[in-house]
Amino acid sequence: MCCVVVKTWMPRDTSSIAEILADARVWKLKDASAAPARPVWSTGKSSLDARLPGGGWPTASLIEVLLDDTGLGEVQLFLPALVACQRSATSGSGDAPWLVWIAPPHEPYAPALAQQGIDLGRLLVVRPTTATEALWAAEQALSSGVCAAVLLWLKGTDDRWLRRLKLAAEAGGSLGVLFRPERHRFESSPANLRIIMSQGSPYTRVDLLKVQGGRPGPVDLGGP
Amino acid sequence: MKLRAAKSRTADLFAATPTRRPNVSAPVSLAPQALAQPSLNRLRPKQLWYAAVFPAMAQLESFAAPLQKLCLHAHAFTSFVSIEPPNALLLEIKGSVKLFGSLPQLLEGLDDCWRRLALQAHSATAPSTLAALWLARAGRPAQIEDVELLPTHLAKLPIACTAWDVERLQTLRAMGVTHLGELMRLPRAGLARRLSPALVRDLDIALARQPAPRRAFVRRERFRERCDFETEIEHVAYLEKALEPLVERCARFLRQRQAGIQALQLKLRHREGPATCVQLGLASITSERRRLSDVLCQKLARLDLRAPVRGMELISGSLRALSASSLDVFAGFTGAGSRDSAPQLVERLRARLGEDAVYGVCLIPEHRPEAAWRRVHELRLTAAARVEEEVIDQKLPRPVWLLNEPLSLRKPELLQGPERIESGWWDGKGVARDYYIARHSDGVRLWVFQERQSKRWYVHGVFA
Repeated sequence: MCCVVVKTWMPRDTSSIAEILADARVWKLKDASAAPARPVWSTGKSSLDARLPGGGWPTASLIEVLLDDTGLGEVQLFLPALVACQRSATSGSGDAPWLVWIAPPHEPYAPALAQQGIDLGRLLVVRPTTATEALWAAEQALSSGVCAAVLLWLKGTDDRWLRRLKLAAEAGGSLGVLFRPERHRFESSPANLRIIMSQGSPYTRVDLLKVQGGRPGPVDLGGP
Repeated sequence: MKLRAAKSRTADLFAATPTRRPNVSAPVSLAPQALAQPSLNRLRPKQLWYAAVFPAMAQLESFAAPLQKLCLHAHAFTSFVSIEPPNALLLEIKGSVKLFGSLPQLLEGLDDCWRRLALQAHSATAPSTLAALWLARAGRPAQIEDVELLPTHLAKLPIACTAWDVERLQTLRAMGVTHLGELMRLPRAGLARRLSPALVRDLDIALARQPAPRRAFVRRERFRERCDFETEIEHVAYLEKALEPLVERCARFLRQRQAGIQALQLKLRHREGPATCVQLGLASITSERRRLSDVLCQKLARLDLRAPVRGMELISGSLRALSASSLDVFAGFTGAGSRDSAPQLVERLRARLGEDAVYGVCLIPEHRPEAAWRRVHELRLTAAARVEEEVIDQKLPRPVWLLNEPLSLRKPELLQGPERIESGWWDGKGVARDYYIARHSDGVRLWVFQERQSKRWYVHGVFA
């Protein structure tokens, strides 16, 4: 199942279908059920996994989470993935990759993270003073190749920086997660995945705003 | 009486294994020669030590600096020079004999060296460190190359040349022992018990029966180079360019010495006023040019230049041995697309954001939630076995965020609890609280507690 979407196409005299597909300007949209090229990490919620291409958070990509207030279980969605990527690398090469949390809104509470299974010896908390420094630090960490995941909390930023972050995440093979306020939902974003989390009754509502290789729409997460 | 009895018993003599050699019937007077270890007799000694004692230096108050200067002179003759406080040097010269032609020529060169420095020196050469030192202290310019000859030469020395403490020497004199030969005839076990095992060990070392590793003097050096500009530089970007050759030279300096550094200092000189000092620390010992310039540039980018710069000076911290783990030759090849190492990332972040802005967290076995963790600034950066931390087994959920200070609130809608935490009465920060998981009106899940005495409600954490 393959569908070709041509964005801007300069017609040429000789163009077979193979040549068209080989062109870098051609984007290929695959079915959500197709096996992904890169590994994915489970979100810990089966209903959300089912909606994501490959069945989990994609690695080497930028994920944007839009929410206005902390406390909606947004970090909880990523903790299983963080544990899994630390564990999988440890069993392979012996040196666990790092997790970097940049500008978290409060102090990350070590006992809670240890309880979830995170190796605290490989967790780095960075507290930059300005948004630009935070973005710079995130870019450095993402592209360094020693970090499995970089979580970044920001009030606001522009499209150009997000593109840099995405490229850095792809270059370093890390998972980049950006948390920012919901008012940015109508801005364009190069993130591979955009999610809106909002308060619902009784539980948090999750909306997929943009899914590369998947279908946007609301997700029912179930219990807390 | 007891002493004389011991002297007459050859079996108890200061020997390694005399009883296993029944064919050797050593008379008492010949004991030292007979008792040298047979295995060492046949071997040429692997080491040859030259000791130089400078009697004039005994009166000096601080002997370290002059002796270190002498070490630099002695390095012309051998690479292994060791300091013996307060006034002696020990040189291992076995390897240098061939280079200088012969032993007398080498010794002549050394004597000449001390003469040129107008220093009076007593010297001696022996196959063991202590033998050479004792001979030199006694002022006997012996040149012993054979381990077999050691006991005869040492036997004639007075016990004072050993520089053992006064009390012990007095005890020995009271026993009638004035020379080492008499001491060597005493039974080992008795000596060790009555005086000290260290004394017996010293004798073994002197007779080359026991190895005695020594610490070599390593010259303390650091990279220090300055460059002055023809015109004043006002922009940091130009400074970075001008810094490149300095860093390159620093890296080459380190590479030649197989050493690395962990600290670096850059001084920027202005036309007037004090120089601007930029201090930087590296997360691990390194000698790589790329890492050094990387960190320097990050620091410079943050620098606010007070005045134009006329010149600069790069000063390294003390040189450290490069360990195998700090050579990251394969760092770029371990994982897909990995280009940096963790220390590099951390030092780059710290150089730009400040030392305190980058930290880790660790657990503390403690029941009070606010005391159960702390920040750590010394990070385990290299591949290390996972440290199993002592954790209070907690089955009850803990929030991802902990507030620095608990915030007061009205009683919320409780979902789960209570969990009673009562602890810390011993250090004045006692807590008596009932913790609950609560839901705020806007849907946020909170970790709240009720102070048991005041019955007031506080929020302490957020489940994110």
